Amino acid sequence: MLKRVPAMLFALLLATGFAWAQAEDPPPAADSEETLSAEESEIAIDAAVFPGDGMIAPSNIVVSDWPNDAGDALLVTFDPGSETENDSFIGYTIYRRIQGTEEFQKVGLTELNEGTSFVDGYDPDFVVEPGVQYEYMVAATYLSGAEVSSEVTVAQEVASGQLYHSGKTRVLLGCIIFLGLILFYFYAAQRGVEMYLRPIAGIEAIDEAIGRATEMGKPILYVPGLSTISDVATIASITILGRVAKKVAEYGTPLLVPNRDPIVYTIAEETVKQGYMEAGRPDAFDKDSVFFLTQSQFAFVAGVNGIMMREKPATNFYLGMFWAESLILAETGSLSGAIQIAGTDAVTQLPFFITTCDYTLIGEELYAASAYLGREPKQLGSIKGQDACKGIIMAIITLGLLLSLTDLIAGTETLNWLKNIVTMPVVD
Amino acid sequence: MKRSVPLAIVMVGGILFMIQYFIPHQHSQTLFDYYTEWAPIVGAFALVLGVGSLTRLHSHKIKRKAKNWQYSYAVLIPLFGIPFFALIMPQSLGGGMMESMGGDRLTQGVFDFAYMNIQVPIQATMFSLLAFYIASAAFRAFRAKSALATVLLFAAIVVMLGQVPIGELIGKWFPKVGLWILRYPNLGAKRAIGLGVGFGVLATQLKIIFGVERNWLGGAGE
Amino acid sequence: MSIWEKMLNLDRRWIFLLIGIACVVPFFTPLGLPILPSQEVVSIYDYMENLTTDNAIFVGFDFDPGTAAENMPMGVAVLRHAFARHIPVFITAYGPLGQGMAAMALDEITDEESDDYYVYVNWEDWASIREQGITDRAGIEEAWIAAGNTLSENAHGWVFEGRDVAFLGYLPYFHLVILGMSSSIASQYPTDIGGTPLEEMPMYQEHKSLRDIDLAVTTAGSSACVAWITYGREKIGLPVAFGVTAVMATDYYIYIQSGQIIGQMGGLRGAAEYETLLLRDGYTKSPGKAFVGMDVQSIAHLLIIFLVVLGNIAFFAGGFNKKTKLKGRR
Repeated sequence: MLKRVPAMLFALLLATGFAWAQAEDPPPAADSEETLSAEESEIAIDAAVFPGDGMIAPSNIVVSDWPNDAGDALLVTFDPGSETENDSFIGYTIYRRIQGTEEFQKVGLTELNEGTSFVDGYDPDFVVEPGVQYEYMVAATYLSGAEVSSEVTVAQEVASGQLYHSGKTRVLLGCIIFLGLILFYFYAAQRGVEMYLRPIAGIEAIDEAIGRATEMGKPILYVPGLSTISDVATIASITILGRVAKKVAEYGTPLLVPNRDPIVYTIAEETVKQGYMEAGRPDAFDKDSVFFLTQSQFAFVAGVNGIMMREKPATNFYLGMFWAESLILAETGSLSGAIQIAGTDAVTQLPFFITTCDYTLIGEELYAASAYLGREPKQLGSIKGQDACKGIIMAIITLGLLLSLTDLIAGTETLNWLKNIVTMPVVD
Repeated sequence: MKRSVPLAIVMVGGILFMIQYFIPHQHSQTLFDYYTEWAPIVGAFALVLGVGSLTRLHSHKIKRKAKNWQYSYAVLIPLFGIPFFALIMPQSLGGGMMESMGGDRLTQGVFDFAYMNIQVPIQATMFSLLAFYIASAAFRAFRAKSALATVLLFAAIVVMLGQVPIGELIGKWFPKVGLWILRYPNLGAKRAIGLGVGFGVLATQLKIIFGVERNWLGGAGE
Repeated sequence: MSIWEKMLNLDRRWIFLLIGIACVVPFFTPLGLPILPSQEVVSIYDYMENLTTDNAIFVGFDFDPGTAAENMPMGVAVLRHAFARHIPVFITAYGPLGQGMAAMALDEITDEESDDYYVYVNWEDWASIREQGITDRAGIEEAWIAAGNTLSENAHGWVFEGRDVAFLGYLPYFHLVILGMSSSIASQYPTDIGGTPLEEMPMYQEHKSLRDIDLAVTTAGSSACVAWITYGREKIGLPVAFGVTAVMATDYYIYIQSGQIIGQMGGLRGAAEYETLLLRDGYTKSPGKAFVGMDVQSIAHLLIIFLVVLGNIAFFAGGFNKKTKLKGRR
């Protein structure tokens, strides 16, 4: 909530500035501004007490468009009347109507501690439509139900949606820099710039593991993680599955691919089928080798563990996204005596895989697998692009370290400057 | 066609939603709302494929009398039984679901019975295996083979003792040092891996949008 | 095979047996070890202490039965705290099985045989009070007592459906549901699981969208909790607190440091800490399940440390640090 304060202050500032400008020199729009008399508004509101009773009503209502939205909110600010001195005052009731209509709607009640501003449009029962001209009235409300109403004011601005969210400029800059770097290396690699990729033991061991299963005449188990296809780890895993399927087809080794997500299942099936076709053995593809088990996390684990203990696969691959089930899978695999290769970007699950599997692809190594296996220039370029991005982050961290040391020694507050540049408040 | 249409959809969709993030305008919002309405519908259709796969696999097993084929009935009967009960006797789902809401456990519905007496204990059992496996894996893997492994070993012992009340009885400093390890060195390492993963995700998504990575298309990708 | 090698190649079933014993015995001979609440849990508790009946919270039962041992006591503790302070609670679930978990939590809290229970008042049961136009919490309770209802000795108070609690349950694609609730809760959940229209509930009339909600506590066994940050905290500034399994807890310290969550209950320990705070302030008369479970965890941790030390002694005494590999590639 605190992070919304700057935005609200900004809006308040805008509104105040607007009010000040109006007081100095009323804009042409003010000609159409209609201020209804208290008698007229009485039609809409019962039990109202009016300024004539010796109480000063809230005044100077200023309505401005709420910035960076879809044109569905307005900021209403006003000056308080004499109610703040009254003990039975409970807050302000905000009334709104479409210009030209009779009836007011009660769109909000502000609490005592909420000050004299109100964002209209957040109540789903009273939505603000973009481009509609509204009229507002604010009533100081008392415990007894009595209200002292302001004059009816035509909103100075109508709600409108913006084409650019000014609060997201830092994100946009970050996107431009990081995406630009990755794209730059994409094309550098395509132009033929030589790029070195360090050997990743886990990926190199894949062929060896498939060979072992073939020698033993036992199946290979491939778990493409438990997440959906929208998870990048799953996509990386599918890439490796394609490679594994091709090798498996060449050697004639049985393959088992249990799935937790139905969409991943369909893609995995297509990928394996394609692997068999590329190996020139489409007839050897067994439709039952890729299957959906269940969407329930631990029921899936029970199913896969059952397969491990019954079928005794010689090699287990766990590549993709895993949660609490990682150790249960890998330890059961270890019990069954299989050689195991794991890879995940789930940081908390990595220790479990490292302790129980023979090879583990750590974090981004999993994503690098497709580049490593394919050796396509663009793929290699993307890895270099990532390294360049990390270089920028490392530079920022080093700068932060230096600034915080400076602050510690000299008592300055230079780190806040960096913090303000790289952090983003809640923006919507 | 099989390849170019999905690639075009992904490219247009990917770029569109990247831009949409920066546009708060009502039209942009409407587009996003459309997406949020469509996503569950597409997902629901995919589930039909999943159920189809499961049915095919297990009916083949039963037909072929493959090893342990009897268990396939244990999959197929509830798979179709529960939706069947839901359709013909919706009350069988709710039954005495909530005693607190005036229900009665004696009039349990089929779903509630299966949930309380099968699913809950089975899943709890699966998760509790972790306790046993962690002990066994720790015994086999935690070796002070090198200086770094020794540091890791000591850190693990301190954190483990710091997490339980008995650790505090042994030494008052255990919880404090344990928390310090979790809050600082642990976070530093996590952020390093997290940043790498983040950029990996970014690069992979770019590769997908621009059609460099096509494996997600399944067989049509090559 | 030397004794050290035998020790290193110890059949894992012995280890399983030892862990089994360590997990069962403390249930029969409770140690009652004291628990010192950590800052991560105290901050959630204090935040709740500052809320009143004018505020409202969400409690997400975003876990499956698998992790119930850790997550359930967290959900129960937060619900107890909210009911005691008459803070309206919307209960949701990220997965279909989470709805059953939430129902079990409510059953536990309203179990008349326990020392600390609340009497659940169904929506229909207090219809006559609503018809009189009474919708404020104090007024409802006053009218309810005036109608001749009394609390038994062990009961802590009444929970009025629609005023103190709305059980919304599970909806598919929950991250999109959170997004939708930022505009209107009723647009996603027109009714609660019992079919009561949300629009008629006094607690909904005061809190129509997530913008009107003061805290969302998500108890999760998977990354479901992150959806509350992405779509609740980052979109509309919804304050979020986590209750996660011990394995996951280390993952989410970053959110505490960055100020994106107000606190976190990590594993059984986190739940036990919350229970300790409830006990301290008289919200409960006896410690909860997590508190009892901490004895088990204490003994199990000691046993694992003992096994690790034993393994290392055998490793060095047998001179295996000089050899290349052991059976099982270790």
